Amino acid sequence: MNLIGIVGTNAPTSTNRQLLQYMQRHFKNQATITIQEIADFPAFDEPEDHRAPVGIAELSAAIAAADGVIIATPEYDHSIPAALKSLLEWLSYTDRPLIDKPVLVVGASYGALGTSRAQGHLRQILDAPELKARLMPGAEFLLAHSQQAFTADGDLAKPEDAAALDEYVAQFLEFVEITKQLLKGRSVQTQQHKQFAWDK
Amino acid sequence: MQFIAIAGTNAAHSYNRQLLTFMQGHFKSQAEITLLPLTGVPLFNEAQVATPPAAVVAANQAIAAADGVIIATPEHNHSIPAALKSLIEWLSCDFKPFKGKPVMIVGASVQPQGSSRAQLHLRQILDAPGVDATVMPGSEFLLGSAQNAFTEDGALKDPRTVDFLDSCFSRFLRFTKVANQLNEPEDVTFTPGDFEVEAVGHNGALPMTVTLSKDRIEDIQIDSSGETAGIASVVFARIPKQIIEGQTLNVDILSGASVTSRGVIDGVAKAVRLAGADPEVLRNRPKAPSALDHEDRELTVDVAIVGAGGAGLTAAAKVLQAGKSALVLEKFPAAGGNTVRAGGPMNAPDPAWQNSFPANPGENHTLAQLAATDPATIDAEYRDDFIALQAQLKDYLAGKADYLFDSKLLYRIQTYLGGKRTDLNGTTIYGQYDLVKILTDHALDSVKWLEDVGVSFDKTEVTMPVGALWRRGHKPEGSVGFAYISALSKFVKANGGTIMTDTPVESLLIEDGRVTGVVAKGANGQTITVHAGAVILASGGFGANTKMLQQYNTYWTKIEDDIKTSNSPAITGDGIRLGESAGAALVGMGFTQMMPVSDPNTGALFSGLQVPPANFIMVNQKGKRFVNEYGSRDQLTQAAIDNGGLFYLIADDEIKKTAYNTTQESLDKQVEAGTLFRADTLEDLARQLNMDPATLTTTIANYNRYVDAGEDPEFGKSVFDLKVVKAPFYATPRKPAMHHTMGGLKIDTHTHVLAEDGHAIAGLYAAGEVAGGIHAGNRLGGNSLSDIFTFGRIAGVTAVSELKK
Repeated sequence: MNLIGIVGTNAPTSTNRQLLQYMQRHFKNQATITIQEIADFPAFDEPEDHRAPVGIAELSAAIAAADGVIIATPEYDHSIPAALKSLLEWLSYTDRPLIDKPVLVVGASYGALGTSRAQGHLRQILDAPELKARLMPGAEFLLAHSQQAFTADGDLAKPEDAAALDEYVAQFLEFVEITKQLLKGRSVQTQQHKQFAWDK
Repeated sequence: MQFIAIAGTNAAHSYNRQLLTFMQGHFKSQAEITLLPLTGVPLFNEAQVATPPAAVVAANQAIAAADGVIIATPEHNHSIPAALKSLIEWLSCDFKPFKGKPVMIVGASVQPQGSSRAQLHLRQILDAPGVDATVMPGSEFLLGSAQNAFTEDGALKDPRTVDFLDSCFSRFLRFTKVANQLNEPEDVTFTPGDFEVEAVGHNGALPMTVTLSKDRIEDIQIDSSGETAGIASVVFARIPKQIIEGQTLNVDILSGASVTSRGVIDGVAKAVRLAGADPEVLRNRPKAPSALDHEDRELTVDVAIVGAGGAGLTAAAKVLQAGKSALVLEKFPAAGGNTVRAGGPMNAPDPAWQNSFPANPGENHTLAQLAATDPATIDAEYRDDFIALQAQLKDYLAGKADYLFDSKLLYRIQTYLGGKRTDLNGTTIYGQYDLVKILTDHALDSVKWLEDVGVSFDKTEVTMPVGALWRRGHKPEGSVGFAYISALSKFVKANGGTIMTDTPVESLLIEDGRVTGVVAKGANGQTITVHAGAVILASGGFGANTKMLQQYNTYWTKIEDDIKTSNSPAITGDGIRLGESAGAALVGMGFTQMMPVSDPNTGALFSGLQVPPANFIMVNQKGKRFVNEYGSRDQLTQAAIDNGGLFYLIADDEIKKTAYNTTQESLDKQVEAGTLFRADTLEDLARQLNMDPATLTTTIANYNRYVDAGEDPEFGKSVFDLKVVKAPFYATPRKPAMHHTMGGLKIDTHTHVLAEDGHAIAGLYAAGEVAGGIHAGNRLGGNSLSDIFTFGRIAGVTAVSELKK
């Protein structure tokens, strides 16, 4: 199974990046996770031609080809970072590769709440008709106090965190399969070419 | 009333911008509405918080000055656009202009919902602690199907919509008045006094004293002696400084030290509460001006001095005394460098004073040995002085010899002999004669000069710092290192000098081979360019730079990666690197000094019971003595390494009273924390240390007999004071830590920094630990203070005398 893991921040040091790196290593027998950085993407500015810049277009193609996407989001001011929001706007405004794509949301924060509010926003955002991702319902993974959450080797320090993530990812892998069954043979082309409906 | 209006998109055309433009005209008789464009605001990036983009700085100023803010948000993917979120993120980091600011949310979209979901997200975002806006509740204005809502002139077509907007806006005018009342600064009144609270450290609670007057936070003192050196010491300097400067608890926490940062802030908040005031009022005040200063600056001074330790402040004081301007740049948040950590007195031979004290047992033995030494064993430069010294010694010893002897020659020869060492490559090094002569001839002048600028010395006793070889220590009254720094800082400031803290110098300005200034980085990342007629490097050695220690080391078999240091964490060889950039030669870099009696966990000197060496009783982990406690630092260090590193200083209740820089309260806390051991019997003490009680009691019994006899047949300790008799007994754990780096920039007797070919680099001077050649292979205890004050004075004088007319 091929998954794209999106680091939801452009910060040079991030425990969300660390979390994805751990997942990439830890789940390597179940899935190939390709980590995607977003720091070099330009800010979204609603270009008239609806064309994605090169890096975004490449990512769109990679997402289209992947079985699913993992988004690791920090929480900035009760929501997702502008850098991640900008990427999602690019994707929804151009190639719309997330339509019907199974998506797993994870998040790590320095504080006690573990990005709970950012994850809530992200789920609502991914539910928007222009994104229309297939979010896995019914479970969540919040990594609180993330500066203390990893060992020097980059493993999750607390066994209960590791177990919760194992369970969460196992459910997602199943969810990816179920979603495939559900959408069997259905084309997303119509959806993708639907008239775009934002305020200019 | 003045409002800032933000259209939440950077798109070329926007109905939200059109809505705001309409409001601007429609309400112009009631309020002045200024539109703030989002163009030029890049995506928020945590790595650039210290240097925010110009558009963000402008937005901050505009919002801070406004009575309120109107935000018109489009809806992208059920939320607000990234462009708007990005601006909010930038502003929530450092500036926080939204804090308490009245905000009205409106929104337009081409769909019927009119940005309903984006508006809800925006409310939640504006409510985040970093933003903390006061958003008007209710009066939701959602403009759906916006593409059909406007006339060609940009007016809203539907009169009912205009009516509703009118009512929303009139409510916002009233809301703004009420909400801004909450922002009026509240006065605080304290019950004046010193409040004892605790700050949180990594090694537990740290005692903190907060001094409050009726309406001000006057002083914050933190006893961080139990704390690991490093980022925490930056916290303990910077945070109190900003709290006092801004009379605010709105202080940035340091990344990487959030626990200790919050600990200090919360500690002060607790003191404020104890003084009967509400700390929340102080948390809501603006930040200290220095924390908000991002502006690049260009300055011109006569002399720029790098480093605000003893050498730098002394040089600055001399420059000011000569009527020239001096600017001291210090990378740490507080002045003091390593000097403020000095615990020992400074060496200077003052026979007239010393002769009034009786000789200690064993001292004459040391002198007799010197008198009997063959001059042929002394290096040629020092031989004449040595022969002259021997004549002095023979005269003294021929008399009653019952008083404490000293002379410049004895000091010079001891500095030379103490500094002579051979490294692992077989290279022998000793102090450069002309530099040592300057040091030993002028150290007493330095003491006198220090008295002139406000340091008072305790003349009632003459002591010997650890590793000093002789009793010629001048001890300031009060806390030793701090006494120098506080007097010098005060003098520099009172005489028109400037000390810029938190301002590391990053490079030298060099024109045609002449050093003409420095470029430094300000506390908030701004560039400070200083044009100067002379630059004095006084930035200390490299004891806190493990990589550099390992790179140059030729003396110790190994310097461990986790070696502790007694130095300030700021002492990382910066001045040596700066000197090299101007072509300076280095001398003696491979020779470094370990402090054998350091705290095993922190590298600090003054934890536990740090007593004069005459009262040292060192036992290894088995409870046996293993070295002459009066030996040189190298001997003690090597012996400690040979005995497994960790060892203990044993003391009784009388020896305890001779300890430097401690209090009974501090000792009790350390015993409680398990970093100092105390017991009513030696047997019990031994058991606490996992030693065989019989071994320790035998060791101490033997030692007490040697004190009575004035002779130590086991290890040859020759200078004794107290025995170990009176309970309770103490054991202080110790381990060698990096203490001093003898090598550094090559200088001449006028403190010119010399290039490889021997020529003096124009405009560049160096004094103190940054320079090499004086202490060579081993620095005597008490000699670094003599060095910094003597060569610091010379540097100031030379720099001024060579300023271009």
